[in-house]
Amino acid sequence: MSKIKIGLPSKGRLKDESLAFLKSKNLEVVNSFGERNYFFNIKNDNEIDGIFLHAREIIERINDGTLDIGISGLDLLKELPDVYSENVKIFKKLSFGYADLVVAIPKDWLDVQNMADLEEVSFEFREKYGRRMRVATKYPNLTESFFLSKGVSQFRVVPSLGATESYPFTGSSELITDITSTGSTLKANNLRIVNDGTILKSSACIFVSKKIEKNKFLNRLK
Amino acid sequence: MKEGLEKKKLKEDLSKKILSNFKKNKFNFTDLDLLIDTNLLTERSGEQFKKFTLTYKDLFGKEISLRPDLTVSTALKYIQEKKNKEEKYCYYGSAYRLDKEGDLKVFDQIGCEIINSNNNKSENILINSILEPLSKIKNLEVILGDVGLFKILVESLELPARWKLRLVKNFSREEYFEDMLKRLETNYDLDQKAIKLDTKRLQDLEKLDQNVMIGGRTVFDIVKRFNKKIKDPRDNYKGKKNVKIIRDFFNINTSIQKAESVISSFFSKNKLNNLSINNYLKKISRINKEIGKKYSINFKTNFGRNTDYYTGTVFLAFVTKNSKIIELARGGEYNGLLRTLGYKKDISAIGGAINLNELINL
Repeated sequence: MSKIKIGLPSKGRLKDESLAFLKSKNLEVVNSFGERNYFFNIKNDNEIDGIFLHAREIIERINDGTLDIGISGLDLLKELPDVYSENVKIFKKLSFGYADLVVAIPKDWLDVQNMADLEEVSFEFREKYGRRMRVATKYPNLTESFFLSKGVSQFRVVPSLGATESYPFTGSSELITDITSTGSTLKANNLRIVNDGTILKSSACIFVSKKIEKNKFLNRLK
Repeated sequence: MKEGLEKKKLKEDLSKKILSNFKKNKFNFTDLDLLIDTNLLTERSGEQFKKFTLTYKDLFGKEISLRPDLTVSTALKYIQEKKNKEEKYCYYGSAYRLDKEGDLKVFDQIGCEIINSNNNKSENILINSILEPLSKIKNLEVILGDVGLFKILVESLELPARWKLRLVKNFSREEYFEDMLKRLETNYDLDQKAIKLDTKRLQDLEKLDQNVMIGGRTVFDIVKRFNKKIKDPRDNYKGKKNVKIIRDFFNINTSIQKAESVISSFFSKNKLNNLSINNYLKKISRINKEIGKKYSINFKTNFGRNTDYYTGTVFLAFVTKNSKIIELARGGEYNGLLRTLGYKKDISAIGGAINLNELINL
């Protein structure tokens, strides 16, 4: 039988908490090839080959079959086209990596409390300026579906690669959607979450390829 | 293979006949562009448009779509050719749309459009031209509606302006519209606690230069809308009653001969005063006089909601085969479309198309 290939986040808090989670299941990650090497093993288990990857990459690799198991964020899977959810299954939601994807507006938009307000403002905006309101985001698909489900159709998504919170104040967008765990970064950037503007409640998850859903190694991760 | 060739031949023969009929009615044939600047479509209909159009980026990163619809292509033609008088176009070609599964569907359409006409008979001319080639089809049925009539109904209701705007703007989005009616029934769309807190912050905003932009909106606009919102009537507008009127209105389904009296009595019964309704009733009466006897026509107020650019008369011709509805032609008035595509002002426009794929299968 071929070895099980597992992917873990390569940096940040998500990496540290993933390692701690595996340790709690008596699966100790060993970097036999040195700190800077991306490959790892599990102590006393020759059936596992591991690799550290970007969290987004982990889902891609499970989808294309190069990985069997991986830890990544739910938000990243949900942002991808539906076909990914057919190949990449959620095995377990983990108790770390909590974050919400939310709609945030400049805090001084006092007249906007909820998505219904945003719907109305977006029509007024278009009437006045002859263009649609722009929403900066790293999550264009989730944002688009959510806005449409709330009746806001007069908007345009502006893809953002980072520092999304600055967009409304540099003239690059009027509002944003972004991931937040405490809301403090949004607040520090003069933004406010719209009352019914939570698009997704996300956390870290163990994802598995649909080919491996019944493997007994998974029992050790329960 | 043989069957495919036969169908192709049949389609070509049929299209020639229909086009010559259109030309007899003084429509000029036009070749329409296959590709449309995606931005023009999304600026008008919003991002959701991309979900059912086949879109790609050219070498310069500009998004281009295969035409999802021949009416939009005709309207763009009128603008590109810098026309400013009445034009009567006819065309024959394919429209390309993605279905829910993302598969490409091709619709072979043959149709005609009248743009910028002052003639109040233009809707009769158009509907007649589209229905004429179908007139010999057994058990042909026609549904007629008028999107503008709903706008008149909403204007007649006692509702805050923001609710009127929402109802009209979202008329074509049936699922969301239903959600809105539920919210309207319960008068739920304001958070009193948040309003109290924000009223304190309002004073700070009022001290600022009113032209200062905050996230793309002026302070003036924010303050104005906030004040308007909190002064809107709270509990004294009767959401439930208005929702009932809207739902009852959508149940109107009657023969064209009775439509005028049914609609009139609906407005009087609900004590809705609106003089503009007479223009709509006259229009229905004109269509009835012209084609009411030729075809079996039903007037439905809930019809025509799936295309967001329709503004007035809408129609559909169909037959029922094995209890399945087969759509043979549809069309409608789109008086606001050209401006949203870049024309300097709103102008009258009406169009319709015959679905050749269905017609040859009959």
